[in-house]
Amino acid sequence: MKTPFEENHDLIRWLDGEMSPAECAAFEATLQNDPQLAAEAAEMQKLSLSLKEHLPAELPVPHADFFNSQIQVRIAQLELDDARAASQRSESAISRLMQWLRTPWFFGAAATALLVAGFAWLQIGAASGTTAILSSYTPNPTVHAETFHSSEAQATVLMLEGLEPIPSNQPITGFNVHRAEPDAEMASTTLFDASGSVLLVMAKDARGQPQILK
Amino acid sequence: MSAAAAATDPAEPLDVDLVKRSQAGDTRAFDVLVTRYRGRIYAMTYHLIQNETEAWDLAQEAFIKAWRALPNFKLDAAFYTWLYRIAHNVTYDWLRKKKIEGDGEFDDERTEHRAAPGSRTAPQGFDAPDRAMKRGELGQRIQDAIARLSPDHRQAIVLREIEGHSYEEIAQMMQCSLGTVMSRLFYARKKLQDMLQDTYENPV
Repeated sequence: MKTPFEENHDLIRWLDGEMSPAECAAFEATLQNDPQLAAEAAEMQKLSLSLKEHLPAELPVPHADFFNSQIQVRIAQLELDDARAASQRSESAISRLMQWLRTPWFFGAAATALLVAGFAWLQIGAASGTTAILSSYTPNPTVHAETFHSSEAQATVLMLEGLEPIPSNQPITGFNVHRAEPDAEMASTTLFDASGSVLLVMAKDARGQPQILK
Repeated sequence: MSAAAAATDPAEPLDVDLVKRSQAGDTRAFDVLVTRYRGRIYAMTYHLIQNETEAWDLAQEAFIKAWRALPNFKLDAAFYTWLYRIAHNVTYDWLRKKKIEGDGEFDDERTEHRAAPGSRTAPQGFDAPDRAMKRGELGQRIQDAIARLSPDHRQAIVLREIEGHSYEEIAQMMQCSLGTVMSRLFYARKKLQDMLQDTYENPV
């Protein structure tokens, strides 16, 4: 048997209604046979009732209106602080960007990044069904190649500069081209169809650029 | 008007509506919630802290923390239950900080067996019965006795006797085992019995 002053969890659980009905019945039978424990239980019940009676679950808040208004003021202040912090973060991001721009290696890094990005873009373009010339190469160092692409025209123009004139005896073939007559004096070539009509006269201008006369 | 009546009065807006409006940034709706529950939250902090000014500040802190946490409140519990837990955590943190700061009064281990079993002597500093009778307030004597409990014992008593939480809920809130809850409740009651012995023998 426990004395009333020993830690007694059964007594506490019974008092607080934390026992199952079977446990409760068993404990109450024990109480009937143990007057000392029963007296202790009665004391604790009395205390419990006093506590519930004299310790209200709700108390009037001193200066209740001020209590509420202070909360509103603090909420407004917090939101202002949040807005300022967000603004500072934004300014800080711009400031960091400016610092990057001032660094000596920034433009080199940026150019590299652009090249990589451009390459990736072209790769993506190729994957999506369009084609593009990534680079051009001429085995003859005196010949320079340039490409121009127009998405609108859906055309790519390859410009070759530094080529030698087309040999006069070079046969030229093409759609509906029956024959070609080079003119060494005029540095031109005339294309004729099957009926003998002139289709096209190709020549070079003063800068050596090809031009079509007809 | 009691908080419970305010929450269930059909003329009053429901908590859930006020919470949704608050979540949308309506501070006036939140003000209604503050008015509705300030008395209960203040009572809880006051019973645990036993200091009017600190309890007032802590109750306010609880509401501000609740406002900040409102965007994360999923309405999967009653607003008061959720608010109560915030207030409890705020108060518990305060008590823990006090304990860490080295105030011996809050050393639970030291106060665990201070009230000797069967002791009939009122603890030192407690009002003599005649003086207490002059004050004429049993409630005040109980408050005084509660104030002399260690924070852990006081909290267990408040959560059980005033707030009516189950042992399991108390264990969760106090982050301890069920056995510890029962132990704290047992010793807290024993101490209160000892401290209030004269009151019961010489009722006010």
